[in-house]
Amino acid sequence: MATITTSIDNTQETPGHRAPLVIGHHTYGSITETVCRVAEAPHPPRAWYIAFAISVLLVLMLGGLITHLLLTGVGVWGNNSPVFWGWPIVNFVFWVGIGHAGTLISAILFLFRQNWRTSINRAAEAMTIFAVVCAGMYPGIHVGRIWLAWWLFPLGPNQNALWPQFRSPLLWDVFAVSTYASVSAVFWYMGMIPDLATFRDRATNKIKKFAYGALSLGWTGSARNWHRYERAYLILAALATPLVLSVHTIVSFDFAVSQLPGWHTTIFPPYFVAGAVFSGFGMVLTLMVPARELFGLKDLITLRHLENMCKVIIATGTIVGYAYAMEFFIAWYSGSRYEGFAFINRAFGPYWWAYWTMVTCNVISPQLFWFKKMRTSPWLMFIVSIFVNIGMWFERFVITITSLSRDFLPSSWGYFIPTWVDIAMFVGSFGLFFMLFLLFCRYLPIVAMAEVRGVALPQPTDGHAEHPASH
Amino acid sequence: MHHADAPTFDPEVASRETLNSFSDFARSITWKVGLTGLAVAFLASLLSKNGQVHLAYSYLIALAYVVSISLGALFFVAVQHVTRAGWSVTVRRLAEILAMGLIPVAPLFLPLVLLVLMGSTTPFVWANAKFLAEHPLIQAKTPYLNSIFFVIRNVIYFAFWAWLARRFLTLSRRQDVTGDPAISNQLEATAAPSLLVFALTLTFFAFDWLMSLQPEWFSTIFGVYYFAGGVMAFFATVSLVVIQFQASGRMQGLVTVEHRHDLGKFLFGFVCFWAYMAISQYLLIWYANIPEETEWFSIRQNNGWEYVSLLLIFGHFVLPFLGLMSRHVKRNVGLLRFWTVWLLVMHWVDLYWLVMPALYRETGPNFGVVDIGCMVGVIGLWLAGIQRVAGDAPLVPLRDPRMHESLAFHNI
Repeated sequence: MATITTSIDNTQETPGHRAPLVIGHHTYGSITETVCRVAEAPHPPRAWYIAFAISVLLVLMLGGLITHLLLTGVGVWGNNSPVFWGWPIVNFVFWVGIGHAGTLISAILFLFRQNWRTSINRAAEAMTIFAVVCAGMYPGIHVGRIWLAWWLFPLGPNQNALWPQFRSPLLWDVFAVSTYASVSAVFWYMGMIPDLATFRDRATNKIKKFAYGALSLGWTGSARNWHRYERAYLILAALATPLVLSVHTIVSFDFAVSQLPGWHTTIFPPYFVAGAVFSGFGMVLTLMVPARELFGLKDLITLRHLENMCKVIIATGTIVGYAYAMEFFIAWYSGSRYEGFAFINRAFGPYWWAYWTMVTCNVISPQLFWFKKMRTSPWLMFIVSIFVNIGMWFERFVITITSLSRDFLPSSWGYFIPTWVDIAMFVGSFGLFFMLFLLFCRYLPIVAMAEVRGVALPQPTDGHAEHPASH
Repeated sequence: MHHADAPTFDPEVASRETLNSFSDFARSITWKVGLTGLAVAFLASLLSKNGQVHLAYSYLIALAYVVSISLGALFFVAVQHVTRAGWSVTVRRLAEILAMGLIPVAPLFLPLVLLVLMGSTTPFVWANAKFLAEHPLIQAKTPYLNSIFFVIRNVIYFAFWAWLARRFLTLSRRQDVTGDPAISNQLEATAAPSLLVFALTLTFFAFDWLMSLQPEWFSTIFGVYYFAGGVMAFFATVSLVVIQFQASGRMQGLVTVEHRHDLGKFLFGFVCFWAYMAISQYLLIWYANIPEETEWFSIRQNNGWEYVSLLLIFGHFVLPFLGLMSRHVKRNVGLLRFWTVWLLVMHWVDLYWLVMPALYRETGPNFGVVDIGCMVGVIGLWLAGIQRVAGDAPLVPLRDPRMHESLAFHNI
């Protein structure tokens, strides 16, 4: 796992001279070597085994709990009057939100010509898909009778007498999330083809050769291949861009089309999208800080990449803070006593602890990134990224639970308490997420080497870094 | 991309191109047109019964219009510094100059501020004590909606904007002389925290001058809606300015088809962003159907206002969305010019739709010479003011350290 590290600080940039995106005197060959080594090493690092074992155990627990849920009924959760949307929806929104960073990095940052995305886009896209898998699980099992989950889709309305409620954002969600999942998966896979071909060409045994060969779809690296690839990448990026916005917009509609104070407010769509990007980048940092250490990728995923992610986090975290402030101000300004109560109740009611956890983690903790020291110390930013993850879970908890637990009718007010199944299932979903991610790290190209090669070597002028061979 | 491909750039030659280098006629015409426009608007307002009330509203639309463009410009400059953008250097100065328009436009608000201080119900009913006494719900908002706090807030908004616009231009012009890269870092350090204050000042400006026209109504997204339209109008303006300047032989070789293409992409992007904000606001209010919220849209869906609403849907979104999508359009001078002018008109329709229904709830749209006079007048004075405060600035940054990136810029 030896890496060539130099003392270059590529977080410092003299205006007019772009700091290198890859450090350590790499050549095209050595970049390939660095990335392939992760998958080609006979054994992954010991930490990988430990993490994988824990994840698999958690997945087994999750499977057991889902069986328990299906055999017993959704009553095993804490969902009950007046909070019928409990942790399952909180966890669903939490995971879907996390699944926003990957496609944002690959699609939107691509359109904005942000070349630094090349070192992190692959892992972030993988993470996106795994997060969407975790998210998709919750609505599926929330229906209780899982064998009827296909009723969510408008399959043969006449034959089956199934008429899904097209006016419900919950149905729009089915389309939004499944479209997003499929486009993200296609985008991820298509982007991987050149790197899979590299794996194929370096494969040392028949099984690998066959598997990577089949997956790389006969890629030869010819000019025609690249031309088609770049075209497809641009088109997919343009198609994926509105999807990044639409998914969490529609998730926000699930809440905001209602008349419930705390749910119904017009800023929800952009606020949810900003929050999703915020939580997604938080999770990317959580994963990449250890991964670059563990797999010797510090020359490719440099401090500069981490610093840029910190900047995205401070920007989106502050947008979320802006939305909190607008909600509070308008709750007063509206003159509606119910609106006013909903927000006073959030901050000073029985769930005050959740509200202030949310504000501290989401709005205050990212402000630490105003300090360069914080943006350039991997383990400090790792801690903040954990806070971001916690804060964004609490945000969904606060929105869902506080508004439901005390609505218009005080006689039906209640206090939501999760059951052990709620908690253990949420923990189990992390197991699923990490298990998939660890498998990805071990068997697929964790960094988009073809793209990194395009931006790695010093350009003829520092002026025009944005001309990678790969797009 | 090699240096050899980049056009040769001589700062000495470029430094001679300023707004002041335009002909005497071009420079003197703006304030004459401005004053004439306002005079015509005023005279026309005397001819009808409710003319002066209409004049106040129409004048407010015109002010909100130019402020939104200058704010869009200020936002653009700040974002270019924060992101250390290279491609945009040759168009950034135009944005710096447009943002300076916030300084001369501030005193133009005085007549309206005076109306507020006098307790007139025009344009803000909440400024009137008698009205408040009859409307307890709005009375309850007076801790915020009162004339003194209103004035204090507006002094803060414009003081901050003026400071920021001046600082961006002053530092950038200092770099014109010295070429010191450290100035770019200084600008970056200014821009990042300023964006926070910018977001809040713009939002509350929109609440104060536009949302509080119907003080019973509220929407958390309203500030972002105004922002989206303003940034879109800024990209339309700067594209149009580039096209017109180049048609008259200025900025040759500095702004190329590649920059126009990118400006067109941003224009397209903000057309979409505006539509996203508009549909978010509309759909959520329509769906929940809570009377105190739907009233605002109800006015805009009846008595003839529905045609203005439909005009916005198609003119401000559907048609430009289809029209600007193609790469060919964004790289074609004539077509891009058409869409910039189209969208600048639509931005006015948008503000008209925000403001005027408050006055003509039952009678429907009322449009005439007063509105044209106000727009011509305010835009004329805004441009004249920009010439006065930034007329001697070269049209491009002369020694920006990232200049070579912008000159050599090519789309993929």
